[in-house]
Amino acid sequence: METILSVNGLSVNFDTSQGLFKAVDNISFSIEKGECLGIAGESGSGKTQTFFSITGILSDNGTATGIADFNDVDLLKLTEKELSNIRGKKIGFIFQDPMTSLTPHMNIGNQLIEVSMVHEKKTKNEALKKAKEVLDIVKLPRIENLLKKYPHELSGGMRQRVMIGISLMCDPLFIIADEPTTALDVTTQKEILKIFNDLKKFKDITIALISHDIGVISEVSDTILIMNEGHIIEKGNCQEVLISPKHEYTKHLLSCVPEWMK
Amino acid sequence: MIQLIIKRLAIAIPTLIIIIAFVFGLMRVAPGGPFTNERALPPEIEQKINEAYDLDKPLIHQFGIYLSKIAKGDLGPSYKYKDFTVNELILSGFPISLTLGVSAIIISLFLGSLLGIIAAIKRNTIFDYTVMGVSLIGICVPSFVLAPILSLFFGLYLGLLPISGWNGGNIYNLILPVVSLSLPQIAIISRMMRSSTIETLNSNFIRTARAKGMPKRRIITKHVIRSSILPIIDYLAPATAGLMTGSIIIEQIFGLPGIGRYFVVGALQRDYTLVSGVMILYASLLMLLILLSDILRGVLDPRVKIK
Ligand SMILES: Nc1ncnc2c1ncn2[C@@H]1O[C@H](COP(=O)(O)OP(=O)(O)O)[C@@H](O)[C@H]1O
Ligand SMILES: [Mg+2]
Repeated sequence: METILSVNGLSVNFDTSQGLFKAVDNISFSIEKGECLGIAGESGSGKTQTFFSITGILSDNGTATGIADFNDVDLLKLTEKELSNIRGKKIGFIFQDPMTSLTPHMNIGNQLIEVSMVHEKKTKNEALKKAKEVLDIVKLPRIENLLKKYPHELSGGMRQRVMIGISLMCDPLFIIADEPTTALDVTTQKEILKIFNDLKKFKDITIALISHDIGVISEVSDTILIMNEGHIIEKGNCQEVLISPKHEYTKHLLSCVPEWMK
Repeated sequence: MIQLIIKRLAIAIPTLIIIIAFVFGLMRVAPGGPFTNERALPPEIEQKINEAYDLDKPLIHQFGIYLSKIAKGDLGPSYKYKDFTVNELILSGFPISLTLGVSAIIISLFLGSLLGIIAAIKRNTIFDYTVMGVSLIGICVPSFVLAPILSLFFGLYLGLLPISGWNGGNIYNLILPVVSLSLPQIAIISRMMRSSTIETLNSNFIRTARAKGMPKRRIITKHVIRSSILPIIDYLAPATAGLMTGSIIIEQIFGLPGIGRYFVVGALQRDYTLVSGVMILYASLLMLLILLSDILRGVLDPRVKIK
């Protein structure tokens, strides 16, 4: 198998008023092409900052050290400009909070097409064609109409579908979904997870699915990585880890999943 | 939008009547009248003058006469400038005040927003500290203090710019008054713009734009500004009010024949109709600006439904 992302000795530090805070502490892991890796751990364990640092979208007070080879390019060594050529084009990002993650004054169509227009120099019409394609993939109805709508006119679930659509505009190799269903109700959650399963099946996309909810991860992921306080506690095949966890912390996390989900 | 305009016009009329009544009342409460002189006039003559100007009638009656004239667009005769009507005086001064005010507002908005945005992008750099430091001084020093200092320095000391007069609207004559009037507003607007831009830059949708790999420039122009400019749009009307009061003094300092002068002279001389005419003009302009800023807000922010 071909490794798409290989992280080695990654640390993330934040400069805070109480001194340096180590949010991610010297972690290493890798993701194979076509794999869906679930990253679990309670909130504050460093899941989000791990992937923010790799894609260069840390807050101003954060710094990342280590190596993050993506397609044999160390992302941590790239300039902001070089990174922005990769973000949105080769790596798609889906955020936790769909209610605030879209630009309020820009219509859905423009938020989608700018991705292809900037990265692939597509004309407006070509980009619109692609936009309709991805909205179809994420199963949004009445696409023509939707393109002219503004985020506030859409429900949370619809906005999250739009976010997934945005991440798919340039047919990325890799998408990072950071708690994509956490802000949504259970029914919508299931539908969104179905989209990820479809993407895995039909698009051969590599996915990193971050969630504090092991139930969510187990529905999509092939492999799982358990994080706690900036460390990786355990990693392995999703089924195996969930059935026979080796580590106390993993057992503890699993005990929080409701019975019926197992 | 048309609905909004009609609604505002409907509110504007009672508002104006209240303002007129207020000015009318205040002016009458103040001691003296337009024809009070150090040397008392013979009673018969005073009687005749008062009759000619309806000043002998009961107040309510006077107010009624005044309102009905205004409804026809006639602001009445000036008591002080006896050969002119208030309409004529305002018409002669308004273009000057308008030039001054509009230039000041455009410059304040443009420079204030621009400096604020750059300061926010380059926050905690020398540029940011300089802009914020200077603007702090700008906020503390009112235009009537700034104006004499600028005149002294650029006019008398360096001899670069004329310090007084309108000179047919010559651009050089405009520079000092417009600068004195705008600087405090630039200071306020740049600070507002800086903090709202920083807030926007920290918002989730900007993180999304970055995750989409949008170039910096595009993020600022397409994603940030339209959100971060909203507080400035809301500030448009208060800024105009500030500029109006500022211009009254600035016109005096730079000897500009705008309507500010009539306002001051009118108030000192109990020229009831003149003061009230200028007030009506100011109030109407302000209401127009509020309407304009509401329309702009609706255009810029799709979440606002303009009704
Ligand atoms: N900008 C920041 N400054 C200081 N601390 C931060 C900042 N961003 C995140 N952190 C801290 O880093 C830790 C890890 O955060 P995060 O990766 O977001 O956790 P999660 O696993 O819930 O995604 C948390 O304790 C959080 O408080
Ligand atoms: Mg998180």
